[in-house]
Amino acid sequence: MSVPSRSRAGNRRRVSSVRLLFRAAAFGVLWALLSGGRAWAIGIPAVLLATAAVPLAAPANRWSPAGAARFVPYFLWNSLRGAIDVAVRALKRGLPIDPAVVRYETRLDSPAARVLMANTVTLLPGTLSAELDGKVLRVHVLNAAGPVADMLNTLEERVAGFFPQAEPPERR
Amino acid sequence: MTVFLLLVVAILLVSLGGGMIQALRGPTRGDRMLVVQLLGTGAVAVLVLLAEAGHDPALVDIALVLALLAAITMVAFVRCAWPLEDADEPGS
Amino acid sequence: MSLAADILTVVLLLAGSLFFVAGTVGLLRFPDLYTRIHALTKADNVGLGLVVFGLLPQAASLAIALKLVLVWLLILLASSTMGHLLARAALRNGIRPWTRP
Repeated sequence: MSVPSRSRAGNRRRVSSVRLLFRAAAFGVLWALLSGGRAWAIGIPAVLLATAAVPLAAPANRWSPAGAARFVPYFLWNSLRGAIDVAVRALKRGLPIDPAVVRYETRLDSPAARVLMANTVTLLPGTLSAELDGKVLRVHVLNAAGPVADMLNTLEERVAGFFPQAEPPERR
Repeated sequence: MTVFLLLVVAILLVSLGGGMIQALRGPTRGDRMLVVQLLGTGAVAVLVLLAEAGHDPALVDIALVLALLAAITMVAFVRCAWPLEDADEPGS
Repeated sequence: MSLAADILTVVLLLAGSLFFVAGTVGLLRFPDLYTRIHALTKADNVGLGLVVFGLLPQAASLAIALKLVLVWLLILLASSTMGHLLARAALRNGIRPWTRP
């Protein structure tokens, strides 16, 4: 599915009240879980402060619920594959590994998207992000003969769907 | 079910104990620190199992705190403790 | 407590502990820090995930179940970040990745 392009100047750093309410509700649910639904005298100020602090920590990152909904099953499935892959390699006789470090230049342009990509890479089969410097990701791979480039391309598309504000990448 | 949960706890504890061998072997500080990561994740698993086995939900709170502390420990380690090892090395 | 829920719990918990064991075996057998990070980060995350999902059918209330999932999400985020930080620090400290001779 392609992401419809929207005018960038129009929505720069404008946080809609819907998003603010959504954030406050999310923090409220988190507090309810952590406190067992008690101590709202502390909880309500904490929720308000956390909601106000979001722009300081992660400025203007638009994420798409639909993209996130597609990202989660992809991530869970590949994370399970990654664990099975490494478990089999660890248990097999002769230790079938052939490590290498590869360089990957990402086309994602928002920092949040890059961080999500770097963090996810570490849990996918056979890859470990070892450095994220601007657009350049250095990835330690467990098996140099594996389909690393394909996997990173697919991951990049999924991350771009999560944060649609990032440039929609065209496949190499 | 309680007995089974404790059996799983025992398997995890053996596996965590095995990891301690690596803490002794190293060879770098990073390898030893990796064992701390293992202990963090493993202890969280043990705590949630014990919370269910002993019907004591408070242990889940301890697991949460431990998960947070493990991450903070690692940040502190890579920022403050590891580069010192090579501080007197020229270049880099 | 229904039998089906108990069977699900047993299967998931055994699978989860198997991943923890495999993670430790990888930690002990793999030749350098980078490959050990692979073993630990991936295997233990999924191991904990299976343990948490195995406990969900036994959870006394929805609140406890959600808190268990929260613990897992936190570890997921924390340990992938920890693996990245450790690998980055290792590269910056000049530790060469092991390669097959």
